[in-house]
Order: sequence, then C-alpha cells, then structure tokens
Amino acid sequence: MLKDIIKKEIIETITSAKFVFTFLLCAVLILLSVYTGLSNYSSDRKEYSAAVALNKKNLESQPSYTALASLGTKINRSPQVLSAIASGVNEAVGRVASVNIAYDPNLIDSKYEANPVFSVFGALDLTYIVKIVLSLFAILFTYDAIVGEKEKGTLKLTLSNKVPRDRLILGKVIGGFISLLIPLVIPLILSLLLILVYPSTSFAGEDWIRLLLMFFMFFLYLSVFFTLGLLVSARTSKSSTSFLILLFIWVTFVTIIPKVAVVGAARLNPIPSVHEITAKKDAFLQQIQGSVQKKVLDWVKENSPKPGEDQKAFQEKFKKWLEDFQQESTSQIDANNAALERDYQLKKNAQVRLAINFSRISPASALMFSTMSLSRTGLDEHERFLAAVRAYKPIFTKWANAKMMRNINFQTGETGSKVVLDDMPQMTFDSETIGKSFARTLPDFGLMLFLIIVFFAGAYVSFLKYDVR
Amino acid sequence: MLEAINLTKTYEDGLLALDHLTLKVEPGEIFCMFGANGAGKTTAINLFLNFIPPSEGTALIEGIDVVKEPLRSKDYLAFVSENVMLYANFTAFQNLDYFTKLAGKRGLTKVDYAKALKSVGLQDEAFEMRTKNFSKGMRQKLGLAIAVIKDAPNILLDEPTSGLDPKSGQEFLNLLIKMRNEGKSVFMSTHDIFRAKLIADRVGFMRKGKMVMMKTRKDLEGEDLTELYIQYMEEQPAAAGA
Repeated sequence: MLKDIIKKEIIETITSAKFVFTFLLCAVLILLSVYTGLSNYSSDRKEYSAAVALNKKNLESQPSYTALASLGTKINRSPQVLSAIASGVNEAVGRVASVNIAYDPNLIDSKYEANPVFSVFGALDLTYIVKIVLSLFAILFTYDAIVGEKEKGTLKLTLSNKVPRDRLILGKVIGGFISLLIPLVIPLILSLLLILVYPSTSFAGEDWIRLLLMFFMFFLYLSVFFTLGLLVSARTSKSSTSFLILLFIWVTFVTIIPKVAVVGAARLNPIPSVHEITAKKDAFLQQIQGSVQKKVLDWVKENSPKPGEDQKAFQEKFKKWLEDFQQESTSQIDANNAALERDYQLKKNAQVRLAINFSRISPASALMFSTMSLSRTGLDEHERFLAAVRAYKPIFTKWANAKMMRNINFQTGETGSKVVLDDMPQMTFDSETIGKSFARTLPDFGLMLFLIIVFFAGAYVSFLKYDVR
Repeated sequence: MLEAINLTKTYEDGLLALDHLTLKVEPGEIFCMFGANGAGKTTAINLFLNFIPPSEGTALIEGIDVVKEPLRSKDYLAFVSENVMLYANFTAFQNLDYFTKLAGKRGLTKVDYAKALKSVGLQDEAFEMRTKNFSKGMRQKLGLAIAVIKDAPNILLDEPTSGLDPKSGQEFLNLLIKMRNEGKSVFMSTHDIFRAKLIADRVGFMRKGKMVMMKTRKDLEGEDLTELYIQYMEEQPAAAGA
C-alpha cells in the first residue's frame, strides 16, 4: 500500500503543469547559474594571474628600494573555484591589499566597488537559486499536500478505505520528496558534467567533497521547507490559508530574520567605527613622526665625530642606527596598529558572531553560512586571509627597511640601485582544511536536521488528528 | 448491515449535530435520509466512516464497532461523496486502479476496470481521459465505479445525485437498485426526494440532529413526499416525536 501511495504521489506530481514548469525553470536557472559562476571564476583566475604578473613587473621597475618600500607590494586574493557555486562574500570584500612600510594593509577593490549595482541585486549563484527559488518551489509542492486533498474530497475517499493514516502521510512525504528532487537532481547532475567539461576549472579531490557536501546542504534546506509545507498543510483547512502562512514564514526566514539579526546585533553589541580606529592610528603615527626629528638630532649631537675623527665610520654608524631606529619606529607603529586592530577585530567578531547566531534561527542563513564555509568564500576565510596579509606586513617591512638602508647613500643622497626581488619574502596563505570547514558547518547541519525532524513530527502528529471532513 | 445505536455527536462548540440516532439498514435495503443542511445527515455518515468520534452511542458496520476497529470496519464499507473530485491529472483507469489498490484488491486487470466503468454507464472513450475533463455526472459515475469494484456489503452515499442531469441521475439510481438487488445495504443522504421516492425502501427525516420521522415504502404509498418533506423540515415541535 505504501508503494501505491508513493507511486500515486509521484505520478500525480510529475504529470502536473506545475512540475513541468518547475522542472524547466530549475534546469534553466541551475545550469545558467553554474555556467555563469564557472565563467566568472575563469575570468577571475585570468585577472588574478595578470594582477600578480603586473605587480611583479611594477616592483621590478622601481628605481630604488625606497620607492619600492613606499609603493609596497600588492597581495592578490586567489579566486576560489567553488565560488562558482557559492560566491559568499567574495564579491563584497576586496580582492587586493597593498603592503608597504607605512600603512596597515587592508583588502580593497571589491567587485561591488567596481560596479555598485551588483551589491543591490547580489550574485545569481547556485546557492541563491536554492535559497530563494527552490525553497519557494518546495512550498509550492507541499502547501496543499494534505489540505488540498481535503478540499478535493480525495482524502475522505482515501480514508474510507483500510488505509492507516501514518502510512498515508509517510507515502505522501516520500513520494512528494522524490517528486521535488527530480527537478533538482537532474539539473545538478548536468551541472557536475558542465563543471567537468568547462575549460580552465581546476577542481581538486577535496573540492568535489566540498561540492557534494554543499549539494547535501541544499537537500537538507529544501527538506526543511518541504516538511514545513506538510506541517502547515496538516494544520489548516484551506489551501489558500496554508499558502499564505507558508509565504509569510518563507519571507520571515529568507529575508527578515537575517536582516533583523544584523541590525539587532549592531544595536546590542556596538563597536567603534572604522574612522575612530583610523583616527587613533593616525594620532599614534603623528606622535612617532613628531619624535623622530628630535631623536635623530639627539643621536647626531651625541655621536657626531669630533674634528679629525673618521667621517665615513660615523656615516656607517649613523646608517646602522637609522636602520634600527626606523625598524623600531615601524615596529612600534605596527604594534600599536595591530593592538588597535586586534581590539577592533575582537569587538567586530563578537558582533558578527552575535548576528550569525541570531540569524541562524533561519534555515536560509544556515544555508548561506554553511555553503560559504564549504566553498571558502565566507567571512572567516576573508578574515584569515586579511590576518595573513597583516602578518606578512612586518616581514615585508623588515626586508624593505633593510634593503633601503643598505642602499642609501647619505653623502650623495642617492637612494640606491635597481631593485632585486629574489630574496623578497613572499606571503603564504593556506586555505582552511576540509575538516575545519566541515566542523564550522556542523551547527548549520544540526539546525537543518532539527527543523526537519520537528516539522515532520509536527506534520505526522497533526495528520493523525486531522479533521478530514 | 449498517447500524447506529443511540449515536450522538456534540461538537466542541456545544452544537448537538446528531441526537441519539438509532437505525439499522439491512442487507438488500436502500435507506434514504432527508434533512435540511445542518440537520445531521453528513455527521451520521462521518461517524460511520470514523472521521469523527461519537460523543455517545455506537456505529456498527457488519457488527464491527467503527471506533474500536476502524480499519477492519472499512473493509466492509464503500463511500461515495457528494462531489467526487478524484485526481484531476489521472485518467479514469488510473483513479480506479489507485483506489482499488487502497481497498486492498490486487491482481485486477484493465478488463476488470473497464467492466466496472461500463457497469456505471461511463463511455469507453472516457476510460483513458484525464478526470479534469470530466463532467460532474462522469465523476459521480467514476466514484460509484470505485464503490462497485470494492464490492463492499455496505454503501454510504452523501448526496450523490445533487447536480446530476436527469439522465445521469436515473442511471445512478439504476445502479443503486442493482446494488440493493445484490444484497448490499445502501445508506444515502439526500435532498432529492423525487429520485429517493423511486428507490428507497425506507426514508428518514432529520431535523436538528434528530430523526423526526421514519417511513417505509409501504407507508409512503399514496403520500405526497414533497408535502411530508416540507412538513417535517419546518419547525414543528409537535412532530418531533412522530
């Protein structure tokens, strides 16, 4: 009997106009989003390679180490291949950071900066399609699953037979879910084929596992809305009421909760503004710069060669002292900036965590956070990259200072010879391991499973008591 | 056989929908229940189907208490509702096949289904048609075919002839007569006094949940059923005990 009910559910759904419409729309949207994602990744990859080469060329063309130190090197963020599926915050945050001896590095030049209209509409990636479009389809498939049968009178006719209610609801769940998966799975399989054949995409073994985990997350997310649809359908006596309630819940989950969470976290846990931090950094910088002249004059006064003493030895001593002094000053500035930044980051992270935890009540937020973590396009990855850039700054500064001092000629005022980059330290950044990414997504998996169980249990119990009249 | 013993239903809001109904529909009998909307006819059917629990009393199908053994009792019962909608994207065959399987009948072929559909007067060309293209009469016939193929000894019909054209209505009645002749107990709630008069072995009049009058075919001979209907449907406290 269960088999008959499942079969009926599947045939009834796949022969309906809404299924054909859903299937075609899903296929077009999913394939289009994956194709667009892959093509964006491919062009990002090209841009990245060009930017790295250009940076190297720029550095090599600098007339001196002084010029190089002040210009600094540009660190480009390597594009993530899985951004083709979940672009995350990739397009909102900067792609390049300038590391020089003066300023604290920050990532700039985001895609949204280049074209602000993108920030209004966001990226049309697969995660977005699943979050918005497919979740609506899940509702469309289930809002009348039970109440619709009541309205048609088929529920009465069905239950006038020897059909246990628990078996009927189970059959409807299994059959309905299979029907929902068909328009999702087929385009997803085609997407995988597209990824395989698309030129210049480099999916490593780990990326495939990440991708499959993301697909699994999509299924869980849609299951949440599917079971929610069943629950509401089993608690209402009109399909129009069921649809309106579900639409309200959908809007709350998908748009209201995430936005309210961010605003609420900012109110509950305020942080100093970026301008405040910058002002503090500038004040310290001015303080250091103000004392430089005095310290140099003091040193020169104390160590000036007496008449007849070796001027050249003095100059060498001064150069060594100046190098150390410069290094010390830079270190002080770096340490101050780092302390301010650490404090700011701690407060900001606390606010972000609060917003994330608030918004996680919504499965839409859970989907976004988990897929961003899995695709390495989330806030955490961005913060880790920025931290790596900042950690690289003192290394670069030390190297640049040393090179500058060694090549400066105090007598002639010449700042040195042509730069050689062979021994320039390079920034290293290791992406998060799959284990860590997965661990980060566990709360989201847990939330989805919890909601599915609660909604399904609610639908099951409600249907056992459902007034079929 | 269908039997109600002091069957009573009071809803949560205090409405007394059925008031101590006691009746028996014997095998080979057609019982027609009249009553205005809200008189308790559908409540009685819902109680037999165990869709709602009784507040008092018992509903028995072939002697089986529908509350104590709901699933077993449904083996002996077929139901035709007022407006059989069925699955619109399914053909008549597909609908019949599905509900036949739910009724626990296995191994039936298309030939058996075609026979059942023909027996209710459905045209051959309608067998493979999607039921969304069916008229109300065709849907009612298909609903009856589902009951026919289940071959249960008791049939419950909830205003099955409402909205049927005269020809379809007559065909429908012929089928009920055929079922009666096969020894089935037929319980039909209806407003259709003209058709009911043609086939009913007994009629009952319901008012405010109470059976206010019951007459046999013999009692009705020479009576104007329309007048009786109007008389018993009106507020007549004196007639309540009749």
